[in-house]
Amino acid sequence: MNISFEESWLHKVNPALKLFTLTFLFVFAVTIHHLNYMITFTLTVSILFFFCTGQPYKHLLLFLLPFLLVFFSTAVSMILFGKGETTLFKWGLVNVTEESLYRGLHLGFRALVFAMMGITFVLTTKPVQLFYSLMQQLKLHPKYAYSFMAAIRLIPIMFEELQTIRDARKVRGIQSQKGLSGVLKSIKSLPIPLLSQSIRRAFRIAVAMEAKRFNSSNARTFYYHIGFSIYDLLFIVYFVLTISLAYFFALEFPLFPVTDVRH
Amino acid sequence: MSNRLKLTDILVTIVISIGFGILYKIWGPLYYAVKPFGINIDQLIYGMWFMAATVAFLIIRKPGVALLAEVAASSGEFLMGSEFGLEVLLYGIIQGLFAELLLMAFKYKRYDLLAVSMAGISSCIGSLILDFYKGYIGDLSTWNLVLYMTFRFIGTILFTGVLANSIVKALEATGVTNLVRTTSQKDFDSLDQ
Repeated sequence: MNISFEESWLHKVNPALKLFTLTFLFVFAVTIHHLNYMITFTLTVSILFFFCTGQPYKHLLLFLLPFLLVFFSTAVSMILFGKGETTLFKWGLVNVTEESLYRGLHLGFRALVFAMMGITFVLTTKPVQLFYSLMQQLKLHPKYAYSFMAAIRLIPIMFEELQTIRDARKVRGIQSQKGLSGVLKSIKSLPIPLLSQSIRRAFRIAVAMEAKRFNSSNARTFYYHIGFSIYDLLFIVYFVLTISLAYFFALEFPLFPVTDVRH
Repeated sequence: MSNRLKLTDILVTIVISIGFGILYKIWGPLYYAVKPFGINIDQLIYGMWFMAATVAFLIIRKPGVALLAEVAASSGEFLMGSEFGLEVLLYGIIQGLFAELLLMAFKYKRYDLLAVSMAGISSCIGSLILDFYKGYIGDLSTWNLVLYMTFRFIGTILFTGVLANSIVKALEATGVTNLVRTTSQKDFDSLDQ
């Protein structure tokens, strides 16, 4: 995928710190049971998503499409089948209550905020820098970090191979058989060659790395040095400020007359 | 026979798992597309997300592989821009840990359908615990919750147990697993169970 974008200040935030902060916010979001606060909290993350990833708006809107599906589908199953006392609508097994409606909306916003945090991180972090940062700041063992980086490099090769296998099947005129066993056979015919080739390739890479005296001790030198900067402070201050503001607005100007969505 | 993970084991596990990460990423939209139908059909395909752990364990058969595989697969899914966002990392760690604990209970000596199915069920329990806190599934109507859990368990056994086992059996036939396994007579014996 070749997507052109501008580097924003979020790109300059230390990747390990960014991951750590977002993980903390993730846990924090799970402890929010207040619908109005959940909505304002979603706003704080969506500001970063819309204005600070450096992506063109056309791309951002495309990314947003599956998120809206996630929002809708997460909300709907709780709205239709959740517990509650004040029934709004009943039809067979479907029982929409006021409580389940609010709880469903809450879950929808929660799913949306998780998705936005994730995509904001992914759009503003290069995998190589992430793993270098994890090695340098969090002392991740180089064996694991380099394995991850090698594996990520193999993804395009895997896709190429998938296409080759498909083409080869087409050229040989293999048609999928009918019936359940035929379906199972065709499900298995793709992953087996893909997996076996991947294992062979990974094995060869590991042998090559060891032959070149890959040093997996922590006292190694790094080509990239990932440090901290003023942007890290900005990142943390942004969240501290906006989340406090979000809390204030949720209490002062509540959108929905509900405090705790739990049963 | 050393049981510690060497560079080869780690690299092979992670490469397999990143492959699964791509599959997990494709699985997300599929899951959300079948979800709004209600009656929890989506839970039948949930078991796919536990599969990296058991497939990698069946291939490499060492302690720690299941956990590493599940963490790597979820990182792969996350870095591909998953709809679930950071959630996948947490779920991956918990599911991998639960699978690992069950395999540890078998002392890493069983590589059969039963062991991997049990490991899958263990992951499944881990995911349900997280859903309880994150998805308020305890607040679903009782019939809906029972259906939800039953479907997820059935799907888990199908994907994580049966499918994973048959894929690795087919891989063994290609001979590629010999590259990464330290073979012993005991291993051959356990295959015949």
